[in-house]
Amino acid sequence: MKRLLMTLALVWGILISPAVQAQPAPGLAENPPGTNPEEGAGMTETDPLAAFNTKMFWFNRKLDDYFLHPVATGYAKVVPQPARRSVGRFIDNVSVIPRFANNLFQLRLKQAATEAARFGINTTVGLAGLFDPADKWFGLKENRDDFGLTLGRYSVPSGPYLVLPFFGPSTIRDAVGRVADGAMNPMSYLLPWNITIPATAGEYLADAINYRSLNLNLFEDVDRFSIDVYGAVQDGYTQRRAAAQRTVNTDSLLPKSQTP
Amino acid sequence: MIGTGLSHGGERGRAVAKRLSAARFRLLAGAVLAAAALALPLRAAAAAPDPMTIVKATVDKFVGILTDPALKSDVSARRQRLKDTAAERFDFAEMGRSALGVHWRDLSDQQRKDFVDLFTRFVEAAYISRLESYSGQQIDFVKETNDGPDYAQVNTNVIQPGADPIGLNYRLKLEGNDWKVYDVTVDNISIVANYRNQFNRVINDRGFDALMSDMRAKQEGLDTSIAK
Repeated sequence: MKRLLMTLALVWGILISPAVQAQPAPGLAENPPGTNPEEGAGMTETDPLAAFNTKMFWFNRKLDDYFLHPVATGYAKVVPQPARRSVGRFIDNVSVIPRFANNLFQLRLKQAATEAARFGINTTVGLAGLFDPADKWFGLKENRDDFGLTLGRYSVPSGPYLVLPFFGPSTIRDAVGRVADGAMNPMSYLLPWNITIPATAGEYLADAINYRSLNLNLFEDVDRFSIDVYGAVQDGYTQRRAAAQRTVNTDSLLPKSQTP
Repeated sequence: MIGTGLSHGGERGRAVAKRLSAARFRLLAGAVLAAAALALPLRAAAAAPDPMTIVKATVDKFVGILTDPALKSDVSARRQRLKDTAAERFDFAEMGRSALGVHWRDLSDQQRKDFVDLFTRFVEAAYISRLESYSGQQIDFVKETNDGPDYAQVNTNVIQPGADPIGLNYRLKLEGNDWKVYDVTVDNISIVANYRNQFNRVINDRGFDALMSDMRAKQEGLDTSIAK
């Protein structure tokens, strides 16, 4: 059992790419404005993997209740918020490669160039990425991107909704995207696996705790306003990804025929 | 001769001027009438200002109530003011109907009425408890997009110090002469669509009555938490 758990942890370790969350900057993603409420009335999300997903959702909630939330709360008490935001920026800065590469894959050239410039500025002037002068002084905003969105740009369907243990909501396609993004981590080529895997896992864990500490009320808010929390998270993920995909498709210089 | 000519000319001139002025007057009157006729549809249009102005007025009203020192101590009066302001601008019945999706047509008239009543109270409670956590954040009005003459979206950003701004967009529909909000998106998540997925799951798993009792429990919980 212990071995199985360890193997599982290792497998997930490989899949790790820290916080590959496609969150477009507010106002950037174009919602089709004023869509007729009638149109969406029949739309409901399908969930063929519901049996598995419900268990994983429960597992992640327990993991959060008993580990992530208490640890993040303690951490937030000790480390002041500006420092925690710097930690988040630092991790974000070192994981530039998947963002840059995926922007490039999608022919979002301006965004890829922005990522490169951001890395250059923030690594030097921004003291190894602890600060974000690229945004503050030059208005260069981060362009979150991942391989799931690249696949989407090349018309690969997202497949069923999938809740991953440790990582939360995803889809079959986005889970594959995670593996690809993790493989882009240059550390995996430079260092032996027995260093890379724990190091990547550690990085993911640090990022998760840090992120949670900055969003301590994340689940409490969802709980308060939801009738069905699972459904709220599922739909929230689906809508956010759709918005991120719209942003990608708008920016992309690939021929439009490629757009699904 | 010159003088008479002049005087004659003067008389003619006056006569012409008289006729002219009469013509002018008629012209003026005609113009006024035409303008008045034109103004009728113009005034009708003026009764529905652009969606951005409308949303801004509602947001300003909310902020005014929330920051009013006189209302600080009187929680129930403040809640009533917030509720009234929300009711002016938000079409809760439309939101509820839309959030039920396909299940709406399976309901009896009584069930529909009960649902819309409860949904309105639930969304009000949720919205007000959100509003009451307002602590002076700056709200930027980003842009307005129109989709045909009857639909519009107003994008705003809620600026919070030390965190990323939250994108808060209002979707409006022209109802009669007035723009009403029928959906709100928070960070690109449509609230109505999100509830639609939740409601659909609950109804499919446990039926409409279970949805009603769950929502009632949630609404009462929110109400007591606001009352505190």
